[in-house]
Amino acid sequence: MLREFSALTRRELLRLTRNPQSVFVGLLTPILYLLLFGQGFNLGSLSGSSAAGLQYALLGAPNYFSYFAAGMVGFVSVTASLFVGANVIFDKFFGIFKRTRGTPAPSAAVFGSRLIAGSVQPIGFAFLVLVLAILFAHIGGLSGLDVTASVGVVGAVEILLAIVLIAFMFVTLALTLGFLIDTPQTYFAAVNALNLPTLFTSDALYPWGTMPHWLQDIATYNPITLAVSVLRENMFGDSLYTYPPEVYLAGLAAWAAGMGIVAIILVRRALRPSN
Amino acid sequence: MTDPIVAEGLVKTYGGKVQAVKGVSFEVHTGEAYGFIGPNGAGKTTTVSMLSAGLRPTSGRAVIDGVEVAANPEEVKRRIGVVFQESTADGDLTGRENLEIAAGLYGISRREGKERASALLERMQIGDASERMAKTYSGGMRRRLELGVGLIHRPKILFLDEPTLGLDPQGRAGFWQFIQQLRKEEGLTVFVTTHYLDEADQYCDRIAIIDHGTIVATGTPTELKDKLGGDVVTLKTSTAQDVSETLRQVPGVLTVQRQDSSYRLKCSSGEVVVPLAVEACSKAGSLISTVSVKRPSLDEVFLEFTGREFREDEGPSATDKAILGARLQSMRGGRR
Ligand SMILES: Nc1ncnc2c1ncn2[C@@H]1O[C@H](COP(=O)(O)OP(=O)(O)OP(=O)(O)O)[C@@H](O)[C@H]1O
Ligand SMILES: [Mg+2]
Repeated sequence: MLREFSALTRRELLRLTRNPQSVFVGLLTPILYLLLFGQGFNLGSLSGSSAAGLQYALLGAPNYFSYFAAGMVGFVSVTASLFVGANVIFDKFFGIFKRTRGTPAPSAAVFGSRLIAGSVQPIGFAFLVLVLAILFAHIGGLSGLDVTASVGVVGAVEILLAIVLIAFMFVTLALTLGFLIDTPQTYFAAVNALNLPTLFTSDALYPWGTMPHWLQDIATYNPITLAVSVLRENMFGDSLYTYPPEVYLAGLAAWAAGMGIVAIILVRRALRPSN
Repeated sequence: MTDPIVAEGLVKTYGGKVQAVKGVSFEVHTGEAYGFIGPNGAGKTTTVSMLSAGLRPTSGRAVIDGVEVAANPEEVKRRIGVVFQESTADGDLTGRENLEIAAGLYGISRREGKERASALLERMQIGDASERMAKTYSGGMRRRLELGVGLIHRPKILFLDEPTLGLDPQGRAGFWQFIQQLRKEEGLTVFVTTHYLDEADQYCDRIAIIDHGTIVATGTPTELKDKLGGDVVTLKTSTAQDVSETLRQVPGVLTVQRQDSSYRLKCSSGEVVVPLAVEACSKAGSLISTVSVKRPSLDEVFLEFTGREFREDEGPSATDKAILGARLQSMRGGRR
């Protein structure tokens, strides 16, 4: 099992290094969001908005960009996981998948290797987003991420776990769809039908205080909201949060576990000899 | 001893509509090379897939090396090597990487995998190209790499689905030379599908001809040729007179077909019939201008049993029509 897993992981990582341009292309979207989108919502410049009101709307973040930068971490784990599932479909198309299935390699190794290797990019992007956002604060004329609370070791570990869990969850979703679906068109349609509503029912991009109540109610249970809350509460202080970050982390872990169980059931079926 | 490959009444119906394989049974003995020949769409790949645990049969059973395929597909995959009809190598990886990763998929250690990959690269004469991306390989190299991947875990049973498709004559000869060597050294049992009948004739111990999902003939190449009833004599007369009846009276002649002044005679022995036929014709007042005697080739056996030269010549085959129907059906279903 371990040898099969490591051989398959090696293959996935080798392919990643063979196509560095795809990594750069993938980075373009989050950079544009950070450089333009996040800069555009300069809520503090609105006349008549009190500092306290703004604080409430942004759940304690000092400005919209800081609030948004944490949300971007959720955003990239969704967008960067897209191609992981598409690669399964391309591998089917080019016969590579047929070879793998012709061998006795267990389905756990087939899936696990793609999960681990496929999470490298979303996790890497998430950290890159955080680093870039912090650097922006030191560039004149740009808004940047302003970490106002002191993040201890526990906080840092929680942030790391949140990033890993949200990436695992969306990579698992993308892979499951990839294993079940045979054409890229259907795949991208399915993935967008699931990912975009998930993203837009979270508080990753909108200020919490400007969301209508019904949307807040939905967003509370959204896995992206949960992941982003772990980051924001650790980075901007806990005064406006109902629960400590561990609770949100546990909720996120439950989501990831649920997704894992669905994946195991569906993928094992998909990997059996076909009918 | 159990036979390494046993098929019992294998049936495959795709999507409840296309009857690709309609109940084939056979067994392949240890060390044998068993050829499966048939026109496009006859059901060869479908049969290979069912035997190699890639496709679940609609009914019937397959037993590989004593292991029931339906009950234990993983164990079957461990014992067999497969070269698929289509290319399965990863083009973004080098030939060496492809082989090393394939080794890992069988649970072979990294070090052992490296050694086996090197040995196979040399044997497959991939040599200098080993460190190049597989997508840059020529067709022949690709096929050799596919074979290498299929052999990495040293299986005793090998399935080859049109392994020499698209290779030049040297490539084909080299490929078979290698297979023959393996059979001799390791007692490999080989199940091979091919469109090249000369290959089947030369290298297979036994052959099954499959058409429309049914085996229509089996036997050794010699047996199959004998089934055609011996030699074919072709005569041309210099006169327009019809001598069919005269020729039919010649002892040893089985059937006579006439087209203008040409006659095609099937007979048990060409050497015996030719002088008698010439004599009979001249007595009847018709002179023979050319004579040829042909030992039947496997091509003729094939044509005899499958009844046509090329599928394409007669429009869509029954199976093609059925699959088209099924597709249209599913498209309509999807819109509803
Ligand atoms: N997945 C599938 N769904 C529906 N029909 C299929 C499927 N795969 C094959 N068929 C049909 O089953 C029949 C047998 O196909 P198969 O691939 O076994 O033929 P083959 O003998 O290998 O042909 P070739 O010499 O062209 O490779 C064909 O009519 C084919 O169109
Ligand atoms: Mg085929």
